[in-house]
Amino acid sequence: MVLLSRRKKATIDPDILALSKIVGTKSILHHKEDLLSYDCDGFTIHKAMPKAVIFPKNTEEVSAAVKYCASHNIPFLARGAGTGLSGGAIPLNNEVIISLVKMKNLLSVDYENRKAVVQPGFVNLKLTNSISHKGYYYAPDPSSQYVCTIGGNVAENAGGAHCLKYGVTTNHILGLEVVLPDGEVIEISPNGVLDTPGYDILGILTGSEGTLGIVTKITVRILKNPESKKTVLAYFDRVEDGSHAVSDIISAGIIPAALEMMDQTAIEGVEAGAFPVGHPPDIEALLLIEVDGITEGIAEQIEQILTVCENHHVRDVKVARDEEERGRWWANRKTGFGAMGAISPDYLVQDGVIPRSKLPEVLKEIRNISKEYNLRIANIFHAGDGNLHPLILFDSRIEGETEKALLAGTACLKACADAGGSITGEHGVGIEKKEEMRFIFSDEELEAQTSIRDVFNPHNLLNQGKLFPTPSRCMDIKKVVNETSLTKST
Amino acid sequence: MSLREKELMKNAPPCSSNSLSNYLWEDHPDEEKWADCVHCGMCLESCPTYLETGQEQHSPRGRVHLIKSVAEGKLEVNEQFMDPVFQCLDCRACTTACPADVDVGGLIEEARGQVRQAMPLKGVKRAVSSFFLKGIFPHQSRLQAAGGLLKFYQKSGIQKAVRSTGVLRIMPDHLVEMEAVMPEIHQSTHQKYKNVDIIPAKGNSKAQVAMLKGCIMDVMFSDINQSTINVLTHNGNDVVLPKNQTCCGALHIHAGDRETGKKLAKQNIEAFQDAEKVVVNAAGCGCALKEYPELFRHDPEWKAKAEVFSEKVEDISKYLYDTGYEKPQSAINKRITYHDACHLAHGQGVRHEPRQLLKDIPGVDYVEQPNADTCCGSAGIYNITNPEMASAVLERKMENVPSDVEMISMGNPGCMLQMAMGVQKYGRGGKVVHTVQLLDWAYQEDERKGVKDGVIVEKKESNNRP
Repeated sequence: MVLLSRRKKATIDPDILALSKIVGTKSILHHKEDLLSYDCDGFTIHKAMPKAVIFPKNTEEVSAAVKYCASHNIPFLARGAGTGLSGGAIPLNNEVIISLVKMKNLLSVDYENRKAVVQPGFVNLKLTNSISHKGYYYAPDPSSQYVCTIGGNVAENAGGAHCLKYGVTTNHILGLEVVLPDGEVIEISPNGVLDTPGYDILGILTGSEGTLGIVTKITVRILKNPESKKTVLAYFDRVEDGSHAVSDIISAGIIPAALEMMDQTAIEGVEAGAFPVGHPPDIEALLLIEVDGITEGIAEQIEQILTVCENHHVRDVKVARDEEERGRWWANRKTGFGAMGAISPDYLVQDGVIPRSKLPEVLKEIRNISKEYNLRIANIFHAGDGNLHPLILFDSRIEGETEKALLAGTACLKACADAGGSITGEHGVGIEKKEEMRFIFSDEELEAQTSIRDVFNPHNLLNQGKLFPTPSRCMDIKKVVNETSLTKST
Repeated sequence: MSLREKELMKNAPPCSSNSLSNYLWEDHPDEEKWADCVHCGMCLESCPTYLETGQEQHSPRGRVHLIKSVAEGKLEVNEQFMDPVFQCLDCRACTTACPADVDVGGLIEEARGQVRQAMPLKGVKRAVSSFFLKGIFPHQSRLQAAGGLLKFYQKSGIQKAVRSTGVLRIMPDHLVEMEAVMPEIHQSTHQKYKNVDIIPAKGNSKAQVAMLKGCIMDVMFSDINQSTINVLTHNGNDVVLPKNQTCCGALHIHAGDRETGKKLAKQNIEAFQDAEKVVVNAAGCGCALKEYPELFRHDPEWKAKAEVFSEKVEDISKYLYDTGYEKPQSAINKRITYHDACHLAHGQGVRHEPRQLLKDIPGVDYVEQPNADTCCGSAGIYNITNPEMASAVLERKMENVPSDVEMISMGNPGCMLQMAMGVQKYGRGGKVVHTVQLLDWAYQEDERKGVKDGVIVEKKESNNRP
């Protein structure tokens, strides 16, 4: 990166010097102006400055940097494209950020055994693009798949529109190379063979939100493209009708590849954004339904879906004419979050899960929350698996509105938890929802989980302050004091 | 007060009600533009400088974040801030990728205006920049003189001598590469049509259009201007070249000199006052003309005029496509790919039209290139100011050009020079041409054979044959 070496002041911070030696002076940022871009990720409500950002080029450099941080008691965390929505990559404790975007290669593809090995900074969609000419694809498709990295997907156990049928990231990870928080490099299931005996370590690491280790190599499952694919768009005058249609489609025994819903406010947003498709502004809900599989049977499933929609008073329902139209419908849906910028200066996206049958009730409750807090709430969600994404629209320039938005978000999650659901489907807990973990876990359950973390990350230097509620009870505080003194003595 | 602050205060206006936190000068970046950015990151992979560096201060959302931070008082307009703001190619690919249509390009240009006022260029850089941007580009007579010198350089044997004696070795590599692909200088349309008010349509006249000659275009690429005139008149358009027109100001605005940009804009708005349609064959210029209203955000009178003007501006390919054009009969038997100029695809949303023009020429074997709409690194004068990044971006671009094409067609002179350098350096892609040139060549062949509308037409001199 000779390109950016115009100005570099001599630095005297010994940590910066030592880290520069590991990754090279061109692969470290430590000036305030350069670091500012790393003070948050896709979750912008909390901001904090890192100590430095380093860009290792291989596992050895990651390991050496981690060893240095661990032995000098410097907090650190890993970051991919920084598109996470729960603040998992925000340096709350002045961390050294280990950015993995320079480790962005596709290392190998094994079509015969249907697996591929990638580095953590490899962009999700690039995998599908690299193997599509052979008729293969990578299934997990978070909306940010154009830019997000597979390393980040592993950390967050990312989901996506097509996870209803094909499962989330954890169902597609076959092996990992991990740098542990003390710098040791381990390989889990290096040959990508499923069902190794013993504990499911892959399962524990996937979705650990960067608190157990830093993934440096990933073996993923790749799938053969479905033979055929059809997409349906249905407009409903009443949101309840849309919700009932969702339940009935699943009850009919169809497992769509995707079953997405948007409400009126969300439709206003996507239509004001960069990829409008001309949805009518006066409908209360739309469904985007995709079925795929072998060609025979698709037509019949589509028929069934159309019938269900008609039974629920659909205003208009149509099947995508061609790939171009299908592409436009999906671009409109997948850029939905960012499009909210067109109708609101800020938004907070929540990520709750509910049993499908509770959809109408919970949506009603969310409307009440919207009224109570006097904030608009748009809903874009994976209706098929009951994964709600209420988007709370607010303006951080108005005093007190950010706090109000946070409270409204919490209220939405409470509504999900009360309906027998969960506080996150795919965005992770991060900073955003750590207190809400108490809605679904008791103190004992939380402690059981933190004791797993202690096995991997005993000094809690890696991505501290994420995933679990901040210690507020006596017992926890004592524990922290003990940990700190322990770390200092080592 | 630190030295830095003193320096800043020295350049700050004594009193300004138009400042915004650490933006001390008027015409500061527009708050409404960054209000739409929710930091989602969908722009990252579209940004050539992010792809190259992996660093977020060199990404669109990072830059927006920095620009916003100055307004929030967290940062000052200083060198560290300047670096990301000036490393941007202003290619607008992020505008296409952005789900909320954030105008990153506009913000960058406004921020550059602040930087240049906070830290005016000094020494050689200042001299070179003001020599070209203020001394040459806006003045037609001086441009013509420069063109004359270049022509003399090429024709007199000096070029040959310079190349063979190795004098070029003392110049930086990127300038040597540029010298090597310099097009042959022809008579400018400015000189050729000095005494002509209207260049009449061939056959029945259906419309009258005004054409922007451009500054460098008319000196370095006057043959493309001639082709544009030929294609327009061939399709029933009377063409006028308003006398008082000048450089569009894009390069000035990109460089942060918004004041000169505004002056040039006003001159053009007046020069084209009587025109119904303003046709442009350079994507960068067309985009700048369409964005004139942006320059006059705080000047309602000129903003209104600029809005009327920008409505009339159209790229040549879109104008032909929208108003109908004759499909040539004569074949150009070449394998051709198309490169989207950023300011055409991302800046003006023109993608389909030029491709269709190409496909309508018989014999053309059209090949789409992957990532056709990624920047080539030319970006106005970016390849001169930031040669290393420009060359890295070019290398990435050339990897996508199919190795077996005979021509690369495009709609912007800056891209043509840069892509020609790419062709020479990496040996891919053959000849670089402007889309209207191909159409013109085919029409000329038609005219030679006398096939236009089935009517025998007069033979026409044909000089720029492939």
